[in-house]
Amino acid sequence: MVRPALRSRSLRKVFRKLPGGKTSTYYRRRKPSKAKCSNCEAILKGVPQERPYKMQRMSKSQKRPSRPYGGKLCSKCSKDDIKQEARK
Amino acid sequence: MIEVGRLCVKLAGRDSRSKCVILDIIDNNYVLIDGQTRRKKCNIKHLEPLDKVIKIKKKAPHANVVKEFKKLKIEVKEKTSKKQNEKPKKVRKSKTPKHVKKVEEKKETKKETEEKTEKKEEKPKEVKKASKKPVKKK
Repeated sequence: MVRPALRSRSLRKVFRKLPGGKTSTYYRRRKPSKAKCSNCEAILKGVPQERPYKMQRMSKSQKRPSRPYGGKLCSKCSKDDIKQEARK
Repeated sequence: MIEVGRLCVKLAGRDSRSKCVILDIIDNNYVLIDGQTRRKKCNIKHLEPLDKVIKIKKKAPHANVVKEFKKLKIEVKEKTSKKQNEKPKKVRKSKTPKHVKKVEEKKETKKETEEKTEKKEEKPKEVKKASKKPVKKK
């Protein structure tokens, strides 16, 4: 049996293969929800789904697309937005 | 729509939302652009053409593009390259003073400890005297 503290469902299990061939279970905190477009709620690409302590370690370019409103709007929404502005 | 001198807005990439001019038509799909964006090859799908056309030569240099943009009151931010600051050279500390310092510190600490012990010895005596006196009175 595992430790009673690890039996809670707030932890997720990670199965790892050990060099000897056995699998062991690691217990990790659950990941936060995926980043979504604020306009159409589509899942954003290029935005990692990690806990803040891991996001802190990443460089700025790893955390979001480098276009304006990157990490907030999806590429389709931002493209439509610019088109509407240009056609006025 | 796609011709040399056509003003466009970039739709995709890090230069998106910035205005540019078509300078050359490379291919059925690609054109050369310059302006607020970097001077680079670009897919036609990533451009939104505007209603203005500038008189400009094919493959005109960047300076000419900036001049034409100034007439239209479009600001072009010039990229300024960072000057590398000279790193301060590390000066090695001479080894001899370290030993001298250590010896001096030890001596000082010993003196301090001696003083502290003397003070400690003095204090309890006073306390004892004070404690004894009230007992005699009773």
